Amino acid sequence: MAAAPTTDTVTISINDVEIEVPKGELIVDAVKRLGLEIPIFCYHSRMKPVGMCRMCLVEVGFKQPDGSVRKMPKPQAGCTLPASEGMAVYTDTELVHKDRRGVLEFLLINHPLDCPICDRGGECPLQNNTLFYGPSTSRFIELKRHLPKAFPLSRYVTLDLERCIQCGRCVRFTEEISGDAQLAFRFRGANMQPTSFQLTEFESKFSGNVIEICPVGALTSTKYRFRARPWDLETKPAICTVCSNGCSVWFDYRVGKFVRLNGRVNEAVNEEWTCDRGKFGHDFYNSPKRLLAPALRKEDALRTANWAEAYAAILEAFEPGGNAVAALTGPMVSNESYYLLQKLFRGVFRSNNLDHRWTRHLSAASDRLESKMGMPTVATSIEAFEHKSAVLAIGTSLADEEPILFLRLRKAWFKNGTKVVVACDRDTDADSFAHLVLRYRPGTEMALAGGLLAAAVESGRATVPDPVREDLKRYSPSAAASATGVPEDRIREAADILGPNAAIVTTHRLLDVADAQGTLEYLAGLAMCLRAEFNLYALGANDQGALELGIHPELLPSGVALADAEAAAEVGRTMGIEIPREPGLGTHELLRACADGRIKALWLVGCDPFALHADRDLVQRALEGVEFLVVQDIVETEATSYASVILPMLGPAEQDGTYTNMERRVQRLRQVIPDAGDAKPAWRIFAEAMLRAQPQTPFFSAEEIMEEIARVAPAFEVARYDRLGHEGTRL
Amino acid sequence: MSDVYKSVVKPILAGFGITRRRLMQRRKKYADVTVQYPDELREQYPRTRWRHFLTRYDNGLEKCIGCSLCAGACPARCIFVEAAENTDEARFSPGERYAVRYEINMIRCIFCGYCQDACPTGAIILRKDFELADYRREDFIYTKEMLLEEYPGQSEEPFESKVGGVYVNG
Amino acid sequence: MSELIQIGGMNERPKPPRPEDLSLRFSDRAIRELEALETHYPERKACILPALWIAQREYGGYLSGEALAEVAFRLDRSYAEIEGVATFYSMYNTAHPVGRHMIEVCTCLTCQICGAYPIAEYLKEKLGVGFGETTSDGVFTLHEVECLDACDRAPLIQVGDEYYGPVDKAYLDNLLDRLRSEAASSVVKLADEIVQVHLRETERDR
Repeated sequence: MAAAPTTDTVTISINDVEIEVPKGELIVDAVKRLGLEIPIFCYHSRMKPVGMCRMCLVEVGFKQPDGSVRKMPKPQAGCTLPASEGMAVYTDTELVHKDRRGVLEFLLINHPLDCPICDRGGECPLQNNTLFYGPSTSRFIELKRHLPKAFPLSRYVTLDLERCIQCGRCVRFTEEISGDAQLAFRFRGANMQPTSFQLTEFESKFSGNVIEICPVGALTSTKYRFRARPWDLETKPAICTVCSNGCSVWFDYRVGKFVRLNGRVNEAVNEEWTCDRGKFGHDFYNSPKRLLAPALRKEDALRTANWAEAYAAILEAFEPGGNAVAALTGPMVSNESYYLLQKLFRGVFRSNNLDHRWTRHLSAASDRLESKMGMPTVATSIEAFEHKSAVLAIGTSLADEEPILFLRLRKAWFKNGTKVVVACDRDTDADSFAHLVLRYRPGTEMALAGGLLAAAVESGRATVPDPVREDLKRYSPSAAASATGVPEDRIREAADILGPNAAIVTTHRLLDVADAQGTLEYLAGLAMCLRAEFNLYALGANDQGALELGIHPELLPSGVALADAEAAAEVGRTMGIEIPREPGLGTHELLRACADGRIKALWLVGCDPFALHADRDLVQRALEGVEFLVVQDIVETEATSYASVILPMLGPAEQDGTYTNMERRVQRLRQVIPDAGDAKPAWRIFAEAMLRAQPQTPFFSAEEIMEEIARVAPAFEVARYDRLGHEGTRL
Repeated sequence: MSDVYKSVVKPILAGFGITRRRLMQRRKKYADVTVQYPDELREQYPRTRWRHFLTRYDNGLEKCIGCSLCAGACPARCIFVEAAENTDEARFSPGERYAVRYEINMIRCIFCGYCQDACPTGAIILRKDFELADYRREDFIYTKEMLLEEYPGQSEEPFESKVGGVYVNG
Repeated sequence: MSELIQIGGMNERPKPPRPEDLSLRFSDRAIRELEALETHYPERKACILPALWIAQREYGGYLSGEALAEVAFRLDRSYAEIEGVATFYSMYNTAHPVGRHMIEVCTCLTCQICGAYPIAEYLKEKLGVGFGETTSDGVFTLHEVECLDACDRAPLIQVGDEYYGPVDKAYLDNLLDRLRSEAASSVVKLADEIVQVHLRETERDR
């Protein structure tokens, strides 16, 4: 556990070296200040110490007035011992070595030592500690404990009870970090087993983490099972692109194939955790449905083509430009690619028909809270949630949509007592630690948001302009209570909890409901009146980046509205293109226009409209109706069968690029895995298409594109590759 | 001058003396020093390290468990192992794990025998077949099928010469 | 213990029960007792042990998965935590259903010297079961226990909350006949006694 922020220090001596440490710092952490290491199994810096494994035994004494050290008669566990004045710790005495040998001999009594077939072999703390501190032989000649091997605890986690050394890390993780408490120790003594209730499925949304924190091979990954040994693997830092949290991860790959993903420490984002969706959601790299070569439709059949043919066909079809062409994008595309796509469309095809949004409500440029209320839609960093006094999460199931934010919020509640108000129309995982749960009827988000604002106004803590006050009469707390089904006193209490050090959290999921705009305005208004922070977080890996970089029919890079003619022209000049004046169509309108035949050519970039759009029927009519469909994707999707041209695109970890996460943190992902087949990075595809349309100096690398982005959208100045830190930088 | 005689001429003469003595001795005594390879070949020493074998237990199961320790120990990085899980229907080795792919690049291999040392089950051993020459690079990738004994104990038998050599007394 | 774990249906585990699917079996009296108990402790977690005793009584002496799930549901704790607590203590019967009467034979030193093993063997033979097993008619469960702290009465057996000793074969014959004729379960009675111990005088419901 990290030391509490305190200036109190005490002087202790470690191996007779005097050192000043914060009062109460655990000995196991304090010795690291001298570059020493105490072997551990059960201790984990992010969880409460329990002292279960006894590996960290040290000799401890206290300075006597005469200067001598009086040692405690028995060794003490360094992981549960806070530093106090005059303490003398010895980590390197004969007794300590003997204790460590003894502890390891005990731990190995029932450990099967099947290291050659164990997935943990090679990166196993038990192996390492035994090698460094353990006895060379065991005196135990009796039969070892025998239990079932390779027990499938869930789809992702395999449990080998024989290997368990009962350190309790997994149990504590589910209790303290993920909060679902789905693992517990059953039975006692040598029979103690960390399992789920009645051996039912371990269905935590963060189950992958227990695999990583297990100090032996008791909990192993079902997907990684027997796939490789650690020394077969190459490991490179990367970021996860499955959701908008943008976790730092390690990519492990073998002979150019992605094998597994582990959490990487990034205190600002994911600390060291991952969610299951991210940890096990990168199968598309090895998918048998990977698109590896461009294909062109000839006489009703898709035939493999070369890139030149594909470009020629595309440029011919997109030649009409203007309102006759359009592009839709998905979330897993880098900032650089988004930027080039919009430059290609605005500059070459003279069209603003660009969109990345798939929610039912598409807020127009004039609706946006930044322009309308002067309220930033992303204010709070993930890290900052730890020190918020109160958080209102509304209309979102955080564990599903922003899993790492969920963990951070839970930590805030667990460590600092943050009051969390959860407002959702269904049960969410956050209910378990919520101070207050507001369970409203589906579709009544606006009434609740209005009710909260009205309650804040009534209590005199918020003042609003008169028109708003009039408008809010509809949503007096009692009216809101009857509309939403949430008790009136709860609405009032929730409004009371929020204050200057509070944050309101919602996600783009809220844009799926009716009255989304009104709801958002009430929430933003509430935050504004109470001087709290308002956050409307994106859901897709780089949705935020798409928004910032103008994949929007009415917005240009850096958020300049197309309607603002002067500013738009200025942006165009910086980009070196002329911005078409006519605003484009939003996703729904676009699809309708495709179905009507008004749009002749549609370019799908890394998105499957069938999966993303609510109206399947419309999507089908649109894809059938459009004359020329370019499907540019990583893997085959339902949309591929409608394509006129298929362009294979590299996955995020196969190219250089940056991604903007929900808290507007730009992080760089360098190429980890070699190119797959003939596929190209999305930005290169756009750059080459631009080059073929208009002779110019093309972009040779993603870095060059970022240089230009930084000129066009000054917010991205901090994201230039030479300035971007290891943990990314918030815009 | 006498130095030159002592340090140059005398040793040369002494060397010729040995040659002369050998020439004088009966030819028969040393007749079997040289064998006429490839027509003849001699049984190799017991600890000779040449071609690898993946051995089997007496019941026919493979000893290799696909643990990749050989690949980890290999200084030339010429071994590739891919493991998979045994099932009751398809059992290749005792226990949970077996090697589904096992390849050695014989061009890279330096025959150091570290793989044999590292193997926890004694599955991989280097035996006496030294006739590893071939014509195409691809043919030097020895797959699991090539490396695996056809029957338990095959690796211990004298190998059959590919070029038709017969064993002569050693 | 490990016999609970059966390999089969790889990668497919049954789901834990959803709260709405639980068949709750606590009687009104049990619910009242539980509500009273919750006021004794600063948090519900502290209430797990007495709640498990209530469950052991309500579920006829055996804490099945449903019983544990109900306790978890009523205390708003996770299923696994409740199971972990219940399986830790040996007086909660979580391993298998028990009979109406649980005969616990002490085989510690004093009893052993005074002939506990012949007594145990006699019981096994007479009931036709081994330690940890229940007779086929569901009346008796036989258990071996450690010292019951009544060495003056060795060899000693315990049935429910009653000690019997010193016992011999004739005594046992009598005792078994008497117990067999008793319809009330001494296992449930013991659980009830313990629940009552946890309650204050005014909260008892007799």
